[in-house]
Amino acid sequence: MKISIEWLQEYVEIRESPEKLKEDLSMIGLLVESMTKVHGTHVLEIEVTSNRPDCLSHIGMAREIAALYSRPLKWPTVQAKLSIPSDRIPYAIEIRDEELCPRYVGLVMDGIKVGTSPDWMQRRLESAGMRPLNNVVDITNYVLLEMGHPLHAFDYDVLRKGKIVVARARQGERFQTLDGMERELDGEMLMINDGEGPVAIAGVMGGMNSEISLSTTRVLIESAYFGPASIRRTSKKLGLSTEASYRFERGADWDNTVPAIARTCSLIEQLAGGKIAGSLQDIYPRKKDPVRITLRQANTKALLGADLTSEFIESTLRRLNFDLAPEGEKAWLVTCPTYRADMELEADLIEELARFYGYGNIPATLPPSKTIGIHSPVYRLENSIREIISSQGYNEAINLSFANEMDHLEFPPLQGERAAVRNPLTEDTQYMRTSLAAGLVRSAKRNFNYGQRLVRLFELGKVYHLGSDGVPFERNVLGILGTGGFTDQNWKNPSASFDFFHLKGVLSKLLQGVRVPSFEIEPAGKIPWLNPAESAVLKIGKETAGVLGSLSASLEEKYKLKQPAYLAEIDFACIEKFAFAPPSYDPLPKYPSAERDISIVVSRDLAFQTIHKGILQLGICELVRLQLIDVYEGEKIPEGKVSLTLRLTFQDREKTLTVDRVQDFIDTILSFIHKTYGVGLRSI
Amino acid sequence: MSESIDNLRRLFEEDLAAIDGMESWKAVRDKYLARESGVITTELKKLRDLPKEARPAFGQAMNQLRALVEKKLQERLDEAKAAEASTKLQRIDVTRPGFPFALGSIHPIKRLQSEIEQIFVSMGFQIFNLPEIERDYYNFEGLNMPRNHPARDAQDTFYFDDSVLLRTHCSSVQVHAMEELKPPIRAISTGKVYRRDPFDATHSPMFYQVDVIVIEEGITMGDLKGMLDVFLKRMFHSDIRMRLRPGFFPFVEPGAEVDISCIFCSGKGCPTCKQSGWVEILGAGMVHPKVLRMSGIDDSRYSGFAWGMGIDRVAILKHGVDDIRLFFENDLRFLRQF
Repeated sequence: MKISIEWLQEYVEIRESPEKLKEDLSMIGLLVESMTKVHGTHVLEIEVTSNRPDCLSHIGMAREIAALYSRPLKWPTVQAKLSIPSDRIPYAIEIRDEELCPRYVGLVMDGIKVGTSPDWMQRRLESAGMRPLNNVVDITNYVLLEMGHPLHAFDYDVLRKGKIVVARARQGERFQTLDGMERELDGEMLMINDGEGPVAIAGVMGGMNSEISLSTTRVLIESAYFGPASIRRTSKKLGLSTEASYRFERGADWDNTVPAIARTCSLIEQLAGGKIAGSLQDIYPRKKDPVRITLRQANTKALLGADLTSEFIESTLRRLNFDLAPEGEKAWLVTCPTYRADMELEADLIEELARFYGYGNIPATLPPSKTIGIHSPVYRLENSIREIISSQGYNEAINLSFANEMDHLEFPPLQGERAAVRNPLTEDTQYMRTSLAAGLVRSAKRNFNYGQRLVRLFELGKVYHLGSDGVPFERNVLGILGTGGFTDQNWKNPSASFDFFHLKGVLSKLLQGVRVPSFEIEPAGKIPWLNPAESAVLKIGKETAGVLGSLSASLEEKYKLKQPAYLAEIDFACIEKFAFAPPSYDPLPKYPSAERDISIVVSRDLAFQTIHKGILQLGICELVRLQLIDVYEGEKIPEGKVSLTLRLTFQDREKTLTVDRVQDFIDTILSFIHKTYGVGLRSI
Repeated sequence: MSESIDNLRRLFEEDLAAIDGMESWKAVRDKYLARESGVITTELKKLRDLPKEARPAFGQAMNQLRALVEKKLQERLDEAKAAEASTKLQRIDVTRPGFPFALGSIHPIKRLQSEIEQIFVSMGFQIFNLPEIERDYYNFEGLNMPRNHPARDAQDTFYFDDSVLLRTHCSSVQVHAMEELKPPIRAISTGKVYRRDPFDATHSPMFYQVDVIVIEEGITMGDLKGMLDVFLKRMFHSDIRMRLRPGFFPFVEPGAEVDISCIFCSGKGCPTCKQSGWVEILGAGMVHPKVLRMSGIDDSRYSGFAWGMGIDRVAILKHGVDDIRLFFENDLRFLRQF
């Protein structure tokens, strides 16, 4: 709301500098966002919150200032006599929907000369951000900005039946508003009709058909009160917000209807030569009572924690035009001004008192703690994961949770249907993401563009799907991306290129770090965005917890990465289910262990895991550790074969192992490998 | 007698000083210590010629001399060996970079988020982990923002259907906490929230918030101020000052906007605070009686307060970040700074 200080001074004396006024208004909840100079006067742009429609005018603001500085409020002069002995122009007002329109006040004037309004009025309209049109329209706008009540002037001669009918629209009816737009109406919208058809959308905008023109000489002035919810619904539905609808939907003052029309009438007489031709008609079928609230002094203390005296309470509320009547000991029945649409409960009155007492004067206290702090278990795990993975060189990423069509084509969801946003902002917010992979690949690409080709990112965030009931749901996912190197290259580490086993290594460390007791990584079937030769699934317990592998060749090509990128996407709930297994103590062995390395030549197609499990199933309980320490393929090995070097560690808890026993174990293992896989020892 | 021993010692010192290499060392050793012909042995043989009473003193002095000679020669040998070894050693260049063990980073917003959680847990709050996809009731209706409430305009919302939406704030924790817990209640929730804002330097359709609720007997606005003060001081700096201005949020009454003294100019006035010395940091207030009643809390017995704060906003202020998009673009040059 733009408030001109020059205009304001017509209603209240202001001795303060604009800077001081700005500061003082902010401290009673009227935030001055900016201050400019228009036509030589300071104009304050005030952020009026939606609960204070009474401040959307110069008089409204003057009331606050008068209360703030304890100064009198000066009212503009108005035409006192709004009826004439016998109407030259008879007219009728009929309200068919009392709920949506509890009060409608009308007046007809003739002898009007439409022209330009005087300079002073044009300047004031402009300083408040309104464009002058002609004297009649300008006067209704002027009164709106002065008194806060929306008015409308109809060209009386185009009202076909010479009457006003307030009723809901016919479903699907079409109507052209003043801005020239053709609008489709529905049966919930309140309209102003002339007995033949609509001439205005009540409280929102007038019709093209009844617009004031240069040839207009007779006008019907409307000053009505329309229900907030209905006006807001209509305005939203039509996508049409006006100065009038903005005020009605926040709550206008039904008792301001007559003063506003009187002021309009005076100004038209003065500035457009009009005379009353049809007396004031005040159709008020549903009388609205002012709001009455009981206020107890004890409750002000209970809510604010400050001691307000009864003198302070009474004088503050009276200054704000509330009416107080004692109601027992230290309590009042407070009657609220009809313009205070925000008054409903005692707390609302207490806020008024606090505003003028000053929030800064309320003493700060610390309530004693009666509860204990409880962390979210999910956040605890998330934070552990974050610490572990970032300490392995990964930077935490956050991508927007949205996805566009392309994301889903390139990274189709691995499970479930995608969820569509009903009212997206752009095509990039059309859907919710179903995977973290797309965002991570884009982030990597963005870094490549800046010349960063070594990128390691992780993201802990939600992905979204449609549930079986069609309602979207979310689940937590951990995404990892690595490309270009597992650590920086330097003289101690000349080659650091990233491959599948770096990704697997990080994932394994992470799962160990959060004490997931066991997990396996197995070859995967087809995963749309992963390279089929380098893709795997993570299994925790019997559950598939996620996928990992290198980005498919086609996406690598499409994003012009020019280097392989490795991705993992793990379901957080699966980790959560198994994480933080309580540690159990195993007594330390008293006898030394023995280590032996063996190299075996096996078919390339034989999975290491198969050999590993086979050896474990031999049941040698002294075998406490099996490491794959070397893999060799090349000249000395037949085509299609691979040499694996295993390091076996044996340990007997009861006694020292003898050389012979260790050799027995090795022989058992080698003969098993030979028999089962048809291969033998290469060399020891 | 002692004169001749002193003389011998002097001679030895001279010979010791003249040693140059292993050969001359051996020569000196043999000269003094050789079993048969060494100077000390030869001198000791003179013992017989001495009067009986002078013998013990002489013997003792000679033994001391022998010990001294042995000690000095050993020291000389050790020095020589150490010197020789050090000429063979090659000094490493300790100024070269160490092995590039990798170190990543935690996102600045996430770091702040866990800092905030820590502060609240220490003050007796329970952390609620709540959904981003929320029912209209928890985001709006239960917070005294029925359909067609103008305050909804300030929170332009992404919808999936008429009643399911992306939460626009973490204030849903108010309704969830009051439904799940019995007073005394202290709860917070942090996380992503969404509004239909374009993605530019000062707006993002997704950002982070923390919302706080306390419901106990006898809670006042003074308590709100006290706890806000503790929180803001721990979050920013112990010198930070705050002020409350009346503000409007449908779920609180009275409502407040909370400013802190500008952390860039300590309240003197700078471009960040538009010369006012204050920056807006959060919204707060006493929980609206209607909100209490809707969630089944007896508003004649309990009162409470709530506040909500943008975590991104704190990050922007604390780190001086000038473009909110940087938080969600994952540029390593940005992320590595945290």
